[in-house]
Amino acid sequence: MTASHSSTATSAVDASDTILELRNASVTYDDGESYVLDDVSIDIERNEIIGIVGESGSGKSMLASALLDAIPDPGLLSGEVSYYPEGGERVDVLDLDGASLKELRWEEVSMVFQGAMSSFNPTMKVRGHFEETLDAHDADRTAGMARARELLEDLYLDPQRVLDSYPHELSGGMQQRALIALSLVLEPDVLVMDEPTAALDLLMQRSILVLLEKLQEKYDLTMVFITHDLPLVASLADRLAVMYAFELVEVGPTEEILGHASHPYTRALLNATPNLDAPLEEMEAIEGSSPAPVNVPEGCSFRPRCPLADESCRVDAPEHSTVVDDHSVACHHWEDSAGEIPLNYAPDGGTSADVDADGGTPDGMDADGSRGGGER
Amino acid sequence: MSDPLLRLSDVEVHFEKEQSIWDFYQDPDVVHAVDGVSLDIEENDVLALVGESGCGKTTLGKTAIGLQQPTGGSVEFRGQDIWEAKAGRGDVPFEEIRQSLQIIHQDPGSSLNPNQRLVEILSEPLRHVHPDMGSGERRERIFSLLERVGMSPAADFGDRYPHQLSGGEKQRVALCRALLMNPDVILADEAISALDVSLRVEMMDLMLDLQDVFDTTYVFISHDLSNARYFTEHGDGRIGVMYLGELVELGTAEELIEDPRHPYTNVLRWATPELSLDATEAVDPPMRKIDIPDPVNPPSGCRFHTRCPKAREACKGGTPTREPVDGGGQEVACFREQPEHAYWESDPIED
Repeated sequence: MTASHSSTATSAVDASDTILELRNASVTYDDGESYVLDDVSIDIERNEIIGIVGESGSGKSMLASALLDAIPDPGLLSGEVSYYPEGGERVDVLDLDGASLKELRWEEVSMVFQGAMSSFNPTMKVRGHFEETLDAHDADRTAGMARARELLEDLYLDPQRVLDSYPHELSGGMQQRALIALSLVLEPDVLVMDEPTAALDLLMQRSILVLLEKLQEKYDLTMVFITHDLPLVASLADRLAVMYAFELVEVGPTEEILGHASHPYTRALLNATPNLDAPLEEMEAIEGSSPAPVNVPEGCSFRPRCPLADESCRVDAPEHSTVVDDHSVACHHWEDSAGEIPLNYAPDGGTSADVDADGGTPDGMDADGSRGGGER
Repeated sequence: MSDPLLRLSDVEVHFEKEQSIWDFYQDPDVVHAVDGVSLDIEENDVLALVGESGCGKTTLGKTAIGLQQPTGGSVEFRGQDIWEAKAGRGDVPFEEIRQSLQIIHQDPGSSLNPNQRLVEILSEPLRHVHPDMGSGERRERIFSLLERVGMSPAADFGDRYPHQLSGGEKQRVALCRALLMNPDVILADEAISALDVSLRVEMMDLMLDLQDVFDTTYVFISHDLSNARYFTEHGDGRIGVMYLGELVELGTAEELIEDPRHPYTNVLRWATPELSLDATEAVDPPMRKIDIPDPVNPPSGCRFHTRCPKAREACKGGTPTREPVDGGGQEVACFREQPEHAYWESDPIED
């Protein structure tokens, strides 16, 4: 393993097929005084599911908004955002005029926000939302509604009942699923979801993830899933990108991150997460709190909370180093992190395999439950 | 043996749905929030209630601490029926019971008065419990407690308004406020759900830490089995699994996770994310339907039969009662626990 430096978060992109590309994206407020997204570069591959993980206030929603050039005023987005349609020319997202941007936003890249209740118009039936969206984009209504019905069925909803309901007549989980169907009605290639399951109970969250995976396969979607909940998205995503203090600190395939997390923050985050396998006494919170946009520490922003920090971390902000192939990390001491911060669970699945065997999953499920996260 | 701290006997809470004037002659829709729950909670105990949204865990919790009047059954506090006491027919003054039973809400932002400084917010319970206490002593008590929950310098925090605090700090203040009443039971209603994942363990540790100091019992409501596991294993307590208003399984975290007897407990286990590589593939849920049925018309028989992967025709009939598993502490309400039951002879339910 060599610690070759590269300025981008992904290094093995040459051979692959990028659909969305973010280069040195920064978002500033107060005339450049405070950064809420700091020089982030990432490539999103066609047909992958990428999970972007970070605490509240780490800038992960800003990253999502940046992909669609939808930063709320008065924030200023700089850098480069490119969209590569299948077999088409590169589109410079930041260069688009209003009408083309509107087209891009629903027909190529669409977005689902958290809290479905506030995304729907409470005085309009669900059917109205679908029709309005189709009309606004001059799409054929009959074909569009047929697709809407199919999407709703894909999401285990009764199309007739849901379309004729007002949003408040549906449960939270049904609303969120209807919203996902709505976001897909114009056949976008990319679905960006910002905490799409945050307000729901765990059972519904997990059910929605299973449905998303099926949708991804059926419609060949690229999905960007933004969340604070690492274990939740780990079951869905092919790749994970971890954000800390407005920067990407680690990017890699899911099993790499779970098995060989190299950034001290990622390792601390994994250890701080309650789960069913970890020995209880080893579960611990991360000391300190993440910085506010106005006083991000000099050098490495995780330094004040990091057990590995030394003088070099204070002086130099770490660049991304390559751990293996497409696993990169922004830390000076990533080679020591595994020794210094042991993980409190068995990433090779040693303990959980026993639990699974006792669990009595229904017949036929066990066959699908075998390993293999990002083999796609 | 003396009476338990709280005893719920066959508690039932039904709500009538609001109806418009045109429905005047019809019977109102009745929401079955809680049905037939019996449960003892001991001193210095930890009980976690888990289940999905709408399963009645919050209603049951509020009923247990006397905030919600049951429509059937009784709730006793150290042998004294709470609602009898409230009606003035008890041996213990209701005021005393009320003080002993406190709550921390899910959203700390809306449970603290935005117009008051922390010192004022926290003085209120002290004025109530110790009317004779001087203001200097009150401040001292408040500051030492704030320091105790990790909010120092306390004098600085005491002068702040709630909006100047982070979510985790607000929840600590809510915990302090409940503790200053010197309660015997604190109902923590999804108290950590609004916090960031990385802060939850810290908050749970703090709550358990203070349990030793203040001698309180916690009723901890959560939809997340892994949080309930952490809290109950550290606090040496039990987890109760609720489904559509009924308590379907009760046991220690270890029992429920290693050996879930009720098919619904197994569903909750499935829903809890794991960090091992084995779990990185999404597997279909071990149930037949994703959405919970309407509590206005709960399914007949075992209420889980409409979604249960193991359901058979017999499940549509009688309601299973909660029975001990192998004579141990774990209890489960499922026909599959009875080897002689008609369940084993009947046909699987086809959708």
